Amino acid sequence: MPDHLFVGKSIPRTIEADKVTGKAVYINDLKRPGMLYGKILYSSHAHARIKSIDTSMAKQLQGVRAVLTGQDIPDVRVGFLKDQTVLKKDVVRQFRDEVAAVAAISPEIAEEAVSLIKVEYEKLPAVFDPFEAMKEGAPLVHETDARGRPLKSNILPLPWKFAVGDMEQARKDAAYIAKDTVSTTWVNQCCMGTSGCIAEFDQNNNLTLYDQTNVIFGHIGRISEYFERIGLAGKKIRVVNPVVGGSFGTKLDTDIYEFIAIQLALNTRKPVKILFDREEEFCALPPRQPAVFTIEQGCDKEGRLIFRHCEAILDNGAYTSWGATTPSVMIMPMSSLYRVPNVYFKATCVYTNNIYAQAMRGYGNPQATFAVETSMDSLAEAAGIDPAEFRFINRNRPGDETPMNLKITSCGLEECITAVRDRLQWDQKRGKQRGRGVGMASLIHVAGGARVTKSDGHGIRVKLDEFGHVDVIESGTDQGQGSPTVISQIVSEALGVRPEDIFLTFGDTALALWDAGTHASRHTFMAGNAAVIACAKAKRQILDMAVELIPRLVKGEFKRMKRKDPEFVEPDLDYGLIANPEDMDIRDRMIFPKKDPDHPYFKVPISEILRNGLHVGIGESRVVAAEAFYDPPTEMLNRDMKGNLSMTYAFGTTGVEVEVDEETGEVQILKLVAAHDVGKAMNPTLLLGQIYGAGYTGVGYGLTEEIKVRNGRVMNPSFRDYQMLTAMDVVPIEAVIVEPGDKDGPYGAKGVGEPGLVPTAPAIANAVYDAIGVRIRDLPITPEKILTALKERK
Amino acid sequence: MIDYDYRKPGNLEEVFSLLKEYGPHAALIAGGTDVMVKIRNTRKAPEVLISLRGLKELSYIRKNGDYHIGALATHRMLEQSDLVQRELTALYEGASRIGSVQVRNVATIAGNICNAAPSADTAGPLLALDAQVLLQGPEGERRVPITEFFTGTYKTVRKETEVVTEIRIPAEMERFGSAYWKQSRRKAMNLPIVGIAVSLRLDNATISDARIALTVAAPTPIRAYKAEEFLTGKPMDEAVLAEAGRIAASTDCCTLRDSLRGEAWYRAEIIEAYVPRMAKLAAERIN
Repeated sequence: MPDHLFVGKSIPRTIEADKVTGKAVYINDLKRPGMLYGKILYSSHAHARIKSIDTSMAKQLQGVRAVLTGQDIPDVRVGFLKDQTVLKKDVVRQFRDEVAAVAAISPEIAEEAVSLIKVEYEKLPAVFDPFEAMKEGAPLVHETDARGRPLKSNILPLPWKFAVGDMEQARKDAAYIAKDTVSTTWVNQCCMGTSGCIAEFDQNNNLTLYDQTNVIFGHIGRISEYFERIGLAGKKIRVVNPVVGGSFGTKLDTDIYEFIAIQLALNTRKPVKILFDREEEFCALPPRQPAVFTIEQGCDKEGRLIFRHCEAILDNGAYTSWGATTPSVMIMPMSSLYRVPNVYFKATCVYTNNIYAQAMRGYGNPQATFAVETSMDSLAEAAGIDPAEFRFINRNRPGDETPMNLKITSCGLEECITAVRDRLQWDQKRGKQRGRGVGMASLIHVAGGARVTKSDGHGIRVKLDEFGHVDVIESGTDQGQGSPTVISQIVSEALGVRPEDIFLTFGDTALALWDAGTHASRHTFMAGNAAVIACAKAKRQILDMAVELIPRLVKGEFKRMKRKDPEFVEPDLDYGLIANPEDMDIRDRMIFPKKDPDHPYFKVPISEILRNGLHVGIGESRVVAAEAFYDPPTEMLNRDMKGNLSMTYAFGTTGVEVEVDEETGEVQILKLVAAHDVGKAMNPTLLLGQIYGAGYTGVGYGLTEEIKVRNGRVMNPSFRDYQMLTAMDVVPIEAVIVEPGDKDGPYGAKGVGEPGLVPTAPAIANAVYDAIGVRIRDLPITPEKILTALKERK
Repeated sequence: MIDYDYRKPGNLEEVFSLLKEYGPHAALIAGGTDVMVKIRNTRKAPEVLISLRGLKELSYIRKNGDYHIGALATHRMLEQSDLVQRELTALYEGASRIGSVQVRNVATIAGNICNAAPSADTAGPLLALDAQVLLQGPEGERRVPITEFFTGTYKTVRKETEVVTEIRIPAEMERFGSAYWKQSRRKAMNLPIVGIAVSLRLDNATISDARIALTVAAPTPIRAYKAEEFLTGKPMDEAVLAEAGRIAASTDCCTLRDSLRGEAWYRAEIIEAYVPRMAKLAAERIN
């Protein structure tokens, strides 16, 4: 393999200067002519019948342009299971239910108008605990399903189930068995940029939606479906990203506020912006899905896993968004983290009158890995094997095919476990207790796309102008993850130009080809592969021009020189070197013959060829432009929830050393080692950013973060009370980059956006156990829980 | 719409006349880190905000026999003052743990105590350091011991017509060592779950004088008098300090309650653990 000029190098971020200097235009900054501001009135009860809504005072307020309730807009159901309407007109089922909406000429007037709407409710019995909700006689959150058929239970018709092998025999064969019940709670994605959009219709009712989203094309299907039901069938929908202030999974679904903005825009014939404030972001944005797992594992005398049996209960909240589909991702660690032949996993989603959940970094994997990795430690202890050794024995290996038919290609888990063991001085430090301990946990995650929709494709367009500038129209979203830099590096390498020549356009469905969404740690892998293909095509177009033009240019130059100097003798050149495009290459802006890269006459700047070859005359003008759509040969999960849904998988191990204060229950992380198999580090600095950021978020998930929901109400909707860690709370992280190279990844890369978060919380829990001998099975691991557990032990 | 007038008088006389003019419809504002947050949260504002930021002469920290801290001294000034760090260490610790650097750059010490939150981070240290609050009004000046300053949650003895101008700490505190612990889940941008400030003097190995102050332990910041009494005259040993912690955490000293940020039993555990720790630290710091 030749040396890369740009791939693998820590090139500074390319476009972020605009962000740090305040020039970048976020949804907060974006204004459209005549734009109005929308605001939503939410429910005052967790479960109640709406008796009346009086909007008269709000309508009279000067500057108000529209006040809408469920009575004013078509009664159309939306959402993953079509279990809600845009504005609720009969019953509210959670505190974040949207009851009315206002559009006004300023955000302040809109807010005041909302406060003038009077709603009369009749309270209904509510249920807030999924276990209570499953009991017979529990209040029903929904009395009917989407089609109006009566419901008898709060259990969702989503029977997530995975079973492979003979569980009964496996239990008999197991020498050791461990059983744990663990639980995880709601955490917020905490994007720096809060949710927001501007909906704008043209006179023909075509919609442009400026939207803080990471799945621009995902909106189109859902909004089209909505349009069909409200009489706007066939209208064009264009989704445009302003600069996106973070995603972490938040915008996988089309949220209700987006439909509300659309309805307000339709009603007023003006562009309408809805921008969440931070309280709304905490109360009305679906957070990470909480879950309770009962997990049991067994192994043989040598410590080889024989079975894994797990049942999960998910508090679905009042409606269904992507949170209810997180079990499809949980199946991956449940079936495929470590080698385990017999697996049973069942997840039950239950309606309650709590907030509902959506996607967040890791999508079910952090929850499930907390269960698996807690159980791994329990079982290692039961079997009397060192937990690191136990994981090593059961590690995944290259070439494995897992019980859910994942085909493991590159796999550096062995190196990751070993690195963590070494860097933490595991063998010296483990098992001493006295308040200090070490723990580890590993992960598997999709790292080569994730076929969760029929197409897992990603399109890219590349065009060059006569100056050698490269426009790249990317169908994904730049949400701050560093993609503009990494894609620039890949295009530069593949095309033979420099990163500063690349100009990227992200997030516009009218310009871009198509993309399944910037989620599932897939962007570098998918866009990188698409870019490599598109660049090869564009490069060929340039080389085709080059073989035509270089001899002409060289001979023309000789002619000129002869005119100047009649003594000049034309050198005898081997034009065969540049006769075929296959024999030519481009690197660092220069075109040259492969056999003689430094040829004094045949090495020509790319811009010279473009200037002389593009817009030159009748019949000869042309463009250099190419596009590629990369859709990997992966599989959708089948009815048994099996299928190789990703081209490759990421592995990693996180280890932590903690000190626990037994008087106060405080946990201090002394060291965190995060070892990740990333295939190939495309940009080591950006990669470290991903690993550190995900690691810290994992520490928050493990120790401090929690949306406190009491009787359905979010009690801590601010950064004052929601304990996301700050820059002052950083822990010393040591990242270990394992680079086995992946045959399917662009330049060997795999996805790494989510993995760092996944194993962090269980590693902390395991370290706490090693330090003080009590195991906290309920996230976050607060000092209160530790003190309580210590007291119970006494 | 939240609407208010903003005035920035240049001297105290003007402040008094504005206060007289607007009476209950006015509020004083210095750094604004409490006032503005409250306006946003309640969606209500007074008719006029009277800024004290024009009173530049109230921004000082000096030792002149007693320690004098101007009302407009910011937390950042306290944090960066060698004098405070060396001789009033608990106050340094309280001031340097509030909010973030950005907050501390504008938030003032008088603002912190006039807001009178049970969680005020400088209140514990000031209680432990025997501070006095100087108030000026049209009728003249009065001096109130900080122990009498807080009359309830978000309530103080300050009259509508008065302005806090200075915090004074008696010279004798230079013979004390002091320490403050803010128990919180993270290291910045946080309110304390509970706060513990201790100051003490030693006579050989005997505790000759001690003050223990607690925040978020009652409706106002408080002194744990029973625990102080217990300590006085006792030797500085583990058993004594542990017992002082128990007394401080008991209903003899505080009225702990459950809230979103922490449960009463947990607050008691932290008080019990940290009274001894802060006492030891304070003892080490005696000059």
